[in-house]
Formats: sequence, C-alpha cells, structure tokens
Amino acid sequence: MKRLSVWMILVGAVLVLPGALFADERVLTVATWGGAYEASQRAAYFEPFTEQTGIEVRTVVYNGGLQVLREHLATGEVEWDVIDMIQSDASAACDEGLLETISPAILATAPDGTPPEEDFMAGAIDPCFITQIVFSTVIAYDDRAFPGVKPRTVADFFDLETFPGKRALRRAPVGMLEWALLSLSVPREQLYDLLSTRRGLELAFRRLDEIRDEIVWWTGGDESVALLTSGQVAMATGYNGRFFDAQVREGVPISVIWDGQLIGFNSWAIPRGTDQKAMAEQFIGFATRTENMASQANRISYGPTRRSARQRIGLHVETRVPMLPHMPTAPDHMDNAVIRDHRWYSQTVRLRDQWFREWLERNGDAGPDGSR
Amino acid sequence: MDRLDVRQTVYQVIMVTVVAVVVGAVASLAAIAFVEAVLLMNDYLLVSPYARIQAEDRHLLVVAATIAVPASGGLIVGLIVRWFVRERRALAPPDVILAAQTQRSGPGFRSGLASTLAALVSLGSGASVGQYGPLVYLGAMFGNLAGHLKLKLRHQRSIAIACGVAAAIATAFNAPIAGLVFAHEVILRHYSLRAFAPVTVASATGYIIANVIFDRPALFLVSFGHVEHSYEFVFFALEGVLSAGLACGFMWLLRASTTAAGRFPVPQWLKPASAGLVLGLVALWIPEVLGIGQETLRFATIEGAFGIGELALIIIAKLVLTALCIGFGFVGGVFSPALLVGILFGAFYGLVLPYLLPLPYSGLEVYAICGMMALASSVIGAPLTTILIVFELTRSYDLTIAAMVAVVFSNLISYRVIGRSLFDLQLRARGFDLSLGRDKAILETHPVRDYCSQAYTTAYLDEDLGTVRQRLVDDDRAEAMVLTREGKFRGVVRLQKLVDGRADAPLDAMIVAGATQFGDDTTVWQSMEMLRGFLGEAVPLIGGDGRLIGVVPEEAVIRAYLEIVHDLREEENEAA
Repeated sequence: MKRLSVWMILVGAVLVLPGALFADERVLTVATWGGAYEASQRAAYFEPFTEQTGIEVRTVVYNGGLQVLREHLATGEVEWDVIDMIQSDASAACDEGLLETISPAILATAPDGTPPEEDFMAGAIDPCFITQIVFSTVIAYDDRAFPGVKPRTVADFFDLETFPGKRALRRAPVGMLEWALLSLSVPREQLYDLLSTRRGLELAFRRLDEIRDEIVWWTGGDESVALLTSGQVAMATGYNGRFFDAQVREGVPISVIWDGQLIGFNSWAIPRGTDQKAMAEQFIGFATRTENMASQANRISYGPTRRSARQRIGLHVETRVPMLPHMPTAPDHMDNAVIRDHRWYSQTVRLRDQWFREWLERNGDAGPDGSR
Repeated sequence: MDRLDVRQTVYQVIMVTVVAVVVGAVASLAAIAFVEAVLLMNDYLLVSPYARIQAEDRHLLVVAATIAVPASGGLIVGLIVRWFVRERRALAPPDVILAAQTQRSGPGFRSGLASTLAALVSLGSGASVGQYGPLVYLGAMFGNLAGHLKLKLRHQRSIAIACGVAAAIATAFNAPIAGLVFAHEVILRHYSLRAFAPVTVASATGYIIANVIFDRPALFLVSFGHVEHSYEFVFFALEGVLSAGLACGFMWLLRASTTAAGRFPVPQWLKPASAGLVLGLVALWIPEVLGIGQETLRFATIEGAFGIGELALIIIAKLVLTALCIGFGFVGGVFSPALLVGILFGAFYGLVLPYLLPLPYSGLEVYAICGMMALASSVIGAPLTTILIVFELTRSYDLTIAAMVAVVFSNLISYRVIGRSLFDLQLRARGFDLSLGRDKAILETHPVRDYCSQAYTTAYLDEDLGTVRQRLVDDDRAEAMVLTREGKFRGVVRLQKLVDGRADAPLDAMIVAGATQFGDDTTVWQSMEMLRGFLGEAVPLIGGDGRLIGVVPEEAVIRAYLEIVHDLREEENEAA
C-alpha cells in the first residue's frame, strides 16, 4: 500500500512537472473585473503584451474586496500573478501583508521624458501598488422608465414616489452609505466624518430602509448594466465606464446621473507568493506605459493616472465619440463628486461589513454572499 | 487744509491700512494654524469620530483614550496655567474687551501665548469648550503688539486689537462681515469710521487668506428654501424666548461650576484633570460631549438623526459638562458649545412643536438654526454678529430673517434677566460694569484722585475759630479742612458758620456734619454720583489711613467727566 502511494506520487510528479515548467511559464494570470472593462484591458494591454513578449495573459474574475484574495493566498498555491484592485483594498491588503512590493524602477518614463514620479498623479506610486485609472461609481437610469421628468440627483434615487421602480445596488457596503447621506443633503466634505459615527451609520441604513423593498442586488460590474439594459430595474448604480460602453457602443437608452459620483482609483498589485513576480512586474511596467494607458482611455471612459496619457485622450476607437466629456473628471461632472476616502475605506472594512451584514439580516436577508 | 495737514492725513491713512493688513494677515494665519492644530490633535488623540472609527478594531484602545486623553489634557492645561500664565487663569474675550476699552496694560504676550497653548491642549484633548474665545484672544494678542508700536495713530491700540479680532473671526467662520461687526459689537462697542475702515480691511484680509489656504467646510451648510407659513415667525419668536431661558441656565451653570471649583479641595492645577476624567467617563456613554462636535452640529439639521429624548439628554449633558470644563479650569470659549447646545435645542423645539400644534411647518433646519443663533447670541451678547453669520454662511435671506426674529427676542429677555452677555457679567465681577454703556464703565476706571488739588486751607482741631476765620479771609476761601496735629482728617468747616461765632470758640462744634468726602479709590463716576446736592467748593480726598491727600474742586470733577466723555464721543465719531 505504502509502496503504491509512493509510486503514484512519483508518476504524478513526472506528469505534472513538465506542465509546470514549460507550458505555464508563458502564461500570466491577471485577476480583473470582466465585461467591457476587461475587454478594454485586453485590447490595450493584454494583446499587445502577448504580441511583444509571447506571454499569454489569462484572466480570472475578481469583483473587489479582500476576502477572496485572502482565501486564494490561503490555499498556498498562488495562481494569480497580477491583481487589479480598488486602491483602498490594495492599501488594506498591503497592511495585511497580502501583496508583494513593486519596484518603481519598472515604470517607463513619459514619451517627452517626464519621469514617472512627476507624470503620475500624487500617491499613485506606492511600494505595494501602482494606481492606474480613475473610475467612478455612478447612478444611471433607464430613459424608458421615466418618459417625463428625469431623475437628476442622488436624492432622486431614494425618491420612490416621484421616480418609482426597482433600484440595482451593489451588494457591498461601498457607496451606498455615502449616497444615503448625500440624499439627506449632507455636504460631501463631511460625509466620512458623519459616517464615522454610530449615528451616521444608523442614519444611512435607515435611509436605505426606505428603498429596501425595491433593491435588486448585483455583484459583478456587468450585472448592473445588464439589469438596467434589460429593463429589470429603473435605476442602477455601477461603474461609469460600463454604462458608457452600453450607452455609446451598444446604443442602449440609459443616462448617467453625475451628481454624487463616487470617484475611486484602481491599482495594479502583485499577490504575495506568486512565483512569477518578475513577469508580473514586466506586465505592470508595460500596462502603465503612456501609449497603452491612452489606448485604454480611448476604449472606455476611465481616466488614466498619468498626465501624459490624459493628453492623448481623443475619440473612441470604434464609435468616434469624443471620450473627454465621458470621463469622471470632466469639469461639469465634478460639482458634487465625492472622492472616495481610501484611508477611511481601508480602515473600516470589517466594521462596514459587519454593519451591512447585520442590516441585511435584520431585513430577513441571508447576509452578503460572495460579493467581496 | 495746509500741507502739513495733508501729509499727516496721508500718513495716517497709509499707516492705518498697513497695520490693518499686517495684523489681519497674522491673526488670520495664526487662527488657521490653531484650528488645524486642534484638528490634528483630535485625530491623533482619537477624539474625532473619524479617528475613533479607524481604531474600532482595538476597542480597548478607544475606551482607554476616551478616559485618559481629556484627563491628561487637563493635567497639562493645569500645569501650563499654573506655571506660565501670570494671571493663573484662562485669558479670554473679557480681557480683550478690557484692553480695548481702557488704557490698562493687560496680560502680557507671554501669558497670552501660554493661555493659547493651554486652549490648544484643551481643545485638542477633547474638552467640552469652544475655540472662538481663544481665537479672539489670539487675534487680539497680535493686535495688541501692533498697538504698542510707536506709529502715533490715534486710538492705535484699540483699533489694532479690533483688527486682530475681526480677522480671526472672519477666518474661523469664513464670514468677513460677521468678523467686522463682532469686533465693533463686542470689543469696541462703537462704530466710528476711524475704526470701521481698518477693521474692515483686516476682516477682508482674513477672509482672503482663509479662502486661499484654508479649505475647511463651513460651520454649517443647509439648503433652505423659504419660510412657508407666516405664522411660523411667532414660533421663531417663542423659540428665541425659550433659548434665552436656556442661555440664562447655561450662564448660571457656569457660575455655579466656578463656585464649586473654588470649594473643590484639590490644588488648582489638578482641577482641569478631574473635569477631564468626568468628561471622559460620560463620553463613553454619550460620545457627543467630546470636543467641538462638528458632526453633532451637522446631524442636528438632518431630520431623523436624533430622537426627542436623545436630544434632551445630549443638551443637558453638553451644558453640564461645558460648565464643568470651563469652571474647573480648562481653557476655552463658550461660543462653540453655545452654538451646539443651541442647534440641538432648536432641533428639539422643531421636533416637539408639531406634537403641540399640529400645523404644517417649514422643516427642522430653520428651527435648528434659529435655536443655535438665539442661544449663542445671548451668551456672547452679539445679536448682529450672529444674524450676519447666518446670512454669510447660508446666503439665505429667509433663514436670516427667521434667525433674526429668534435672536432679537432671545436677547431682549436675556438682557433683562442677566445682562448683555457672559463677558459683561465676568467684567462686572472684575469691577468693569458695561451694563449702562461705555460711559459709566470708562468713568469707573478713572480715579478722581487724578484730579486732586493741593490748593486748600488747613485748620487744626486745637486752633480757635478766630484764627481759622482770619486764615480763610486771607486765603480768599470759604472752606477749611480740619486736621488733627497728627494729620488725620476730621471734617470741613465753612466760613458761613464761622462768620458770627465767638473768636475763642472751639472749632470742633463748627464741623459740617455728613459732608461729602472722596476715598482713595473713588472713581470719576462715583464722584459725580456723590456730588448730588453738594454745595461746597471742593471735596476732601481721604487716604486709607485717614489722612487728607488733597481736595477735588467741584469744577475738577465736572472737567474730568467732560474730558473723558468727550474722548469717548470723539473716538466714536471720528472719521477715518
């Protein structure tokens, strides 16, 4: 019996090893967000990278949060080489020791010779991550659902009387709390101060109670677009780039409410324990080159964090729609924009989860599923 | 106007402007640094909710900090005040008023810096005190410095002080008009153009600096449409009356707490620490009592953030703990706590009213703001300033009118019951009574001794009537001051009585009974009061040891009065 198992291990090793040594060597695994966003990454980063280096890029779906990363690393077999994270998550993951450090030397200078540390926006280059895009979580609505008066503000999202219909909301305590307080005319400067108090959190969840029965939950970024375009909901929160894609590339009659848009940042990071760190760094260096970042910005309306890349934003590659007015940072979108407080987010992960879970349970819900 | 006059005028205008800009800029920058330092300390010491929630995973740390931070802050404050403030008490707006109103030299710069540092530690460690009082003092301190430069400007000191105060308030509230009016209404107590112009310049300077480098959300931001029902103005007036009651209660509590602190059997420097300990323990249960309470202030204007019972509890807790902190020696103001209690009371009123009178209302916000301003204006005695703060922060005419009604009724009542403001109460306790206006208070600061004359006729008790009569005739006087040989004053004799007396009669019987006499500390104001019905030539001025210092002729008292009042009127009516 014993002898047999030893043989089996030997045979198994012989069968598996060559695969590990040769076949997988030329594959980089990137954990990212799927849908239109991933498509833009494929066109702007993955395909040119493969073309240049011969390294295949494989993707796995990642929808944010730390728990899945923790679970993945806990298996001991780290398959993800690069992960595309919300900056606050990356910062929290860094504190937990879930990420490798990244050498800033991998970043290319801008075509005009500007060194990366001057070209990137402040805070983008971190020992654990390189922040690459500015994205926004916004509220969008189905034009067909409101043939008369159109919703314009965050408060309208909570106004079921004037704007009846289902609301699609991400099943995670991200954004919903800010919007709940914004709808109560709390000024954006004080959102995180108020949400830091028990009273503020209670107030936000009580506000969410008012639309509780109309909420349809989504987890992946594409689900929210699908819910809206299929007419299952009248309003949905979601990522501005995906709404842009549906609106402009697919011509779906939806509109974005820029009031109270929640501006966040996505960063490239390397999970701790990957055995392809050098290749991961090579990829991040490639993906953060000015021309590649600009190429993505001309496919989906997320703003690059490099100034030299922003200067190269023009028309959408397929529809020839000018991209600048669709960027979250377009001047007239910034009037009541909320910049996500990364420090606050990364320090309150557990607390927010706990409050959210309790709120769901109080309302007879099972608790958040694998949304994080 | 000749050339010298023109040159003099140009010099005055330029110099006053330079002083205003420099004092305004320095006061404004100092105010910004102060506020930022408080916020930084609040974050670092886990006083602010924003910092506390981020340490939520280490719950014990938060609990320990809540108790330890205000207590150890109190200890440091106690020691700073004990060792570095010569007056051994918090320096506050009353000191500023006194400095601007009188020629007295006031607390020194070192004491001022130490008091400011103590205020910084108090606020930084979460004591329930206000930041505007220390800011006013800070601004005045720099104004006072400029006031001592040899620039030969008239009323230089009081104007420079007012400039510093106006800039500090303009910066802290981001409200330049309120800063300007505050300096006149509370500090200068007049509106002369000579002061008005530089104070305006300083206030504007503060506002510009605040806008360029100081990016803080306004104290309160509300989106208010308009008062929907005219009958609501009656409710605003009633709210003002009730707020006045609360303001009186607040001031009574402050006094009671100060008295209690005096009897509390621990060394003075340990008292703030004991107040801090109590504050920390209460804060474990009601975290709203810690610090300035920006978050609580905001919640008060949001419908549904508080229940009625909760509001009542927080109002009482905040009132009592603020009185405790200030009475027991934390350094800080009363304006921010008054604003907070006021807005909570306003919210309380706005929530209760619909139960008492089921009518439609224009929402909670307007009642909250009215309560805030009504209570705070009564406490600091600045109705115009508070009305203007509402106007500048909200730019809402309707809201301002509503607040105005509440403020006016509140001040009407509180003025009758306790006087113009807490500051005036404190000044009265120190012998500077502004309740009848500046004239009385200023006249009270001038001793009549300054107008004393040595031109009098002396008579000794053992001299006979004839000698004294002859001496009076020789001196061409009608009165003589009767002294013992040891020089003690005994009374006054008048020629009218001596005229037909026997030459050898003793002088003793001739002394006028109950004749008016001034003491060493008699003020010009008191001397005017005492001269009622006086018929003689001069009033004797008697020292503490019973010796005659000199006499004050009736004419001198009138001259003193006219001179001082003339100076005041001139100051109040000067053009730039």
